[in-house]
Amino acid sequence: MARFRNKKKVVFVKPAKKQPQQNVDHVTDLRKMMLPYTALNLKEKKRNNLKDFLNVAGPMGVTHFLMLSKTGSSPYLRVARTPQGPTLTFKIQEYSLAVDIANSQLRPRVPKDLFKNSPLIVLSGFGTGEQHLKLTTIMFQNIFPAIDIKTVKLSSCQRIVLLNYNKETKLIDFRHYSIRLQPVGVSRRIRKFVQNHQVPDLRSLQDVSDFVTKAGYGSESEGDDEAATVSLASDVGRVNKASTKSAVKLQEIGPRMTLQLIKIEDGLCSGTVIFSEYGNSEEKKEDSEEGSEGDGEEGSEQEDVMDE
Amino acid sequence: MAEELQMQEAGKGPRKRNIGHKKGKGKKKMKVFHGSGQQKVKMDGKTKKLFRKRARDYNSDDSEDDDNDIEEEEEEAAPPLKFEKKQVHIEDEEDDEKSSDEEVDEDVDVSNDVSDDEDGEIQPGIMKFFEGNTSFKKAFKKIIKRSGTDDVLGPVLSAHKKLVVKKLAEDAAEKKVKGDAKKEKTLLGEKGHVKPDAFSVPHEKLLIGVATKGVVKLFNAVNKAQSSQKGLNPSRSKDAKVIQKRRKEAFFSELGKPSSTVSTSGGGGGDGEGPAWAPLRDNYMLTTSKLKDWDKAADAPEATDGFGRQDDSSSDEDD
Repeated sequence: MARFRNKKKVVFVKPAKKQPQQNVDHVTDLRKMMLPYTALNLKEKKRNNLKDFLNVAGPMGVTHFLMLSKTGSSPYLRVARTPQGPTLTFKIQEYSLAVDIANSQLRPRVPKDLFKNSPLIVLSGFGTGEQHLKLTTIMFQNIFPAIDIKTVKLSSCQRIVLLNYNKETKLIDFRHYSIRLQPVGVSRRIRKFVQNHQVPDLRSLQDVSDFVTKAGYGSESEGDDEAATVSLASDVGRVNKASTKSAVKLQEIGPRMTLQLIKIEDGLCSGTVIFSEYGNSEEKKEDSEEGSEGDGEEGSEQEDVMDE
Repeated sequence: MAEELQMQEAGKGPRKRNIGHKKGKGKKKMKVFHGSGQQKVKMDGKTKKLFRKRARDYNSDDSEDDDNDIEEEEEEAAPPLKFEKKQVHIEDEEDDEKSSDEEVDEDVDVSNDVSDDEDGEIQPGIMKFFEGNTSFKKAFKKIIKRSGTDDVLGPVLSAHKKLVVKKLAEDAAEKKVKGDAKKEKTLLGEKGHVKPDAFSVPHEKLLIGVATKGVVKLFNAVNKAQSSQKGLNPSRSKDAKVIQKRRKEAFFSELGKPSSTVSTSGGGGGDGEGPAWAPLRDNYMLTTSKLKDWDKAADAPEATDGFGRQDDSSSDEDD
């Protein structure tokens, strides 16, 4: 039964309080990223607080909350497990919306069933042995449903979420890519021909064989390095046949964030502080055991509006 | 003066037709009056009232145009006067309009007019129309002659000009303050929001490389796992049995080599001998039932720090 639960991960992404339009966009972006197991059209009223969402979360099988909030200093992202924590609080140092990313690209790619399956997750650089990082790893892995490599269909792996931890800066790069597979060793023309089913323009050619043999433009030479090629177990789409080599190409979609882990709380937006970026975590522990939570250096993030 | 008046009347006779449809009634009456000089008595109270009212209206207009305070005072005194005396006012107005030169004679005229009742009184209302006509013409011309609004403020009474300027300036200042506040607020809301730019491309490429590595790893693993069961359809019961058997074998073979499992779990964070930190213990929150499968995921993903997904799934296949 636990396995079934695992497969149906449902996530709420909600603004912690009323947000300006820009951040609402950010919320939508995050929700889209979490598709399909998320409440895409979750509406929040002013008087709703965390308790309301928590009450709904149980019956609906919601496993995680992602909460966005904003203070004067910067926006924050909190990732919490329901019903009883822990809660990770991230400071969002920088972020770009999916729209910004799409605008920066020459040809943004959004296949129609891109968001039909949940993304894969890749965590990189978290293996430093630090405990709070480990917890972060586990947290993010549990947000997305686990896949069984024995039965998974490669065609359902359309997106990937990357979390890359930088040891020096202690920042986490959050990226969201779409996965595209391309057969290796086939010229661009033929690939397009197979994909589009359109009659090619043969005016400039002497013979049909020219179409097959003539090399295309330089673009196909790039990216065909060995590291990025896989041999597929099953057919993916029309072009990528099983047991042929395919190149993995990633194109960025969705939101981009640079996160800084600030603190980890035991409960759901409450409880003892397990880890704090500012100040000694041991001290914090003692502090919180006495019942006084988060003050002093943490003055920059007093946005816990929803606690009560 | 009275004669003059008469002359004017005669001269302006045809013009009154242009007065407008509103005065149609008055015109008719005038015709009647032309014929009989002594019909003054026949005017009933209603008509009188009407005339008086018109005269008053007219006076007020006039005073606005010419800013003649004296006249206004006179006008205020007018209502109590008898109908015959009303002529005085009318004539006064006429004088004013004709030219300012004649203002000097006004007082004399007034006295004269009272005595000249018979001549002047005949068409009290009509006279007013004539005068109204000319004054209207004047005013209209004046307005027409004016070339647009020479001021930013548009047509404003001179007394209010300063006030209006002040108010406009105040409004502008207020608006600016509000706009600034709004701008600041949006700026605050935008904090941390950056558009992707060119100089971050190397970093992005690096990240894409990392992600690609992860995907390749997964796909290869999938390929490895699924190639063994190629040709077997898991939905068919016969094939499903075979798959089950293979899995079991694989599982036991995994159990057979304990050294590798130790190394994988040990690589994660050295949690083999019960770490001091509570969340890493195997029974963390199990006793409190805070988390259900929290620990379950915990021992799997350390095997590969770069890519945890496969390991997760490998733990899944055990059941």
